Amino acid sequence: MLSSFSTLMQRLLCAAVLACVAVAAQAQADKPDPNGPPDQLVLIVANQALTALKAGGSTQENGIARINKVVDQYVLPYIDFEKTTRLAAGHYWRQATAQQRTDLSKAFRGTLIRTYSGALTRVDPSTTIKLLTKRANDVQGDDAVVRTIITANTNAQPIEVDYRLGKGSQGWQIYDLNVEGVWLIENYRNQFAQQIGQNGIDGLIKALNERNNGN
Amino acid sequence: MAGCAAPSHPDPRDPWEGFNRGVYNFNDTIDHLMIRPVATLYSTVVPDPVQSCVHNIFSNLGDVWGGINLMLQERGVDAINMWGRFMLNTTMGLGGCLDIASRTGDPKIPSDFGTTLGVWGLHQGPYLVLPLLGPSSVRDGVGMTADWYGDPLALYHIRNVGLRNSLYGLKFVETRAGLLDVTNTIDHTALDPYSFVRDAYLQRRAAMVRGNKPNTDALPNYDDEDKNAPPAAPSPSAAPAK
Repeated sequence: MLSSFSTLMQRLLCAAVLACVAVAAQAQADKPDPNGPPDQLVLIVANQALTALKAGGSTQENGIARINKVVDQYVLPYIDFEKTTRLAAGHYWRQATAQQRTDLSKAFRGTLIRTYSGALTRVDPSTTIKLLTKRANDVQGDDAVVRTIITANTNAQPIEVDYRLGKGSQGWQIYDLNVEGVWLIENYRNQFAQQIGQNGIDGLIKALNERNNGN
Repeated sequence: MAGCAAPSHPDPRDPWEGFNRGVYNFNDTIDHLMIRPVATLYSTVVPDPVQSCVHNIFSNLGDVWGGINLMLQERGVDAINMWGRFMLNTTMGLGGCLDIASRTGDPKIPSDFGTTLGVWGLHQGPYLVLPLLGPSSVRDGVGMTADWYGDPLALYHIRNVGLRNSLYGLKFVETRAGLLDVTNTIDHTALDPYSFVRDAYLQRRAAMVRGNKPNTDALPNYDDEDKNAPPAAPSPSAAPAK
């Protein structure tokens, strides 16, 4: 149990990070099209992000600042952070003011980047991402699942990463991520509710920001 | 974070949260005092190829029992793949030191008796944190006992007590060392490491029981009804003083 859980946690980090990164970069001619099929969007964005990361030399040396930059520049247009935050906050979202919503999304984004930056440093020249075979119910109206597999360095097990996308005015955007069976939003819902229950929405924003600042 | 006697946000899957948090804190203390330093030393001192070899050998030994469980779950093809992995890695992979099967496109499908019980219809039962072993549940705890006795290649079968205990120790340290990055990240990013680990564990176990079956229920339903909810008016008391 311990060892199977440990592999899970390793992959959680390692893969999820890649997943996040995967959503980066526009170094190639093949531009991601948010209005095209969601699986192609994910694949193109992911591959471009990987290319950008590999081109940057050893990602290990560049650290969190560089990953932040890559995410800002390449990943952001294809992620609906507000939706991610809204769903993680659940019914508390209603009680939040416009300012709190903005601050919370920003703080949560910082947390996610921090969480995944460790995994992103493990991108190496052999890292590739592939789409898994589609299933009949992968796309349902404005909601879609794209299933991918990331093969990291030769000694590591491949990691399954699923993306959940929603279609809005800006076309398809990613809002949730699954690494080896664990959905990101679902994993933050209890912690959000706990924190809001104890210290309110401002308390949650504060707690997230404290961690983002390295405490 | 201050120790809380009663859970502030009870989860129906975790009725023993008070007790579990106690064990979690105990584990965390022991971990910081003893286990983590040893694991850190191991991962610093032992060369990477040796670490990966040790990891692969333990993992390879587990593939036989993993395959038996996949068979019990009526995943025959996956079971045969796992046994094929074992044979290839044991021979060409020098006793499991190299995971050749993964490189040739036959990745490990982790499985155990807790998962088998789940496939047979047994529910997870209450979440349970075990001393030293960490996250589990009533069902998975029972499964773990079966894993110990059922696995034909378990370390438990080694007769030489000294050797057996040394290998137990090595496996424990090796497993912990593999988790160092993860636990450091959880410590620095999770709002509540306890519920972060619990929720990840329960999600992961549910996914392992589902296996590779296409399942429409597998997607979480977040009830996005607040999409167009107007933001609340700032209350005078909570207004940020900016």
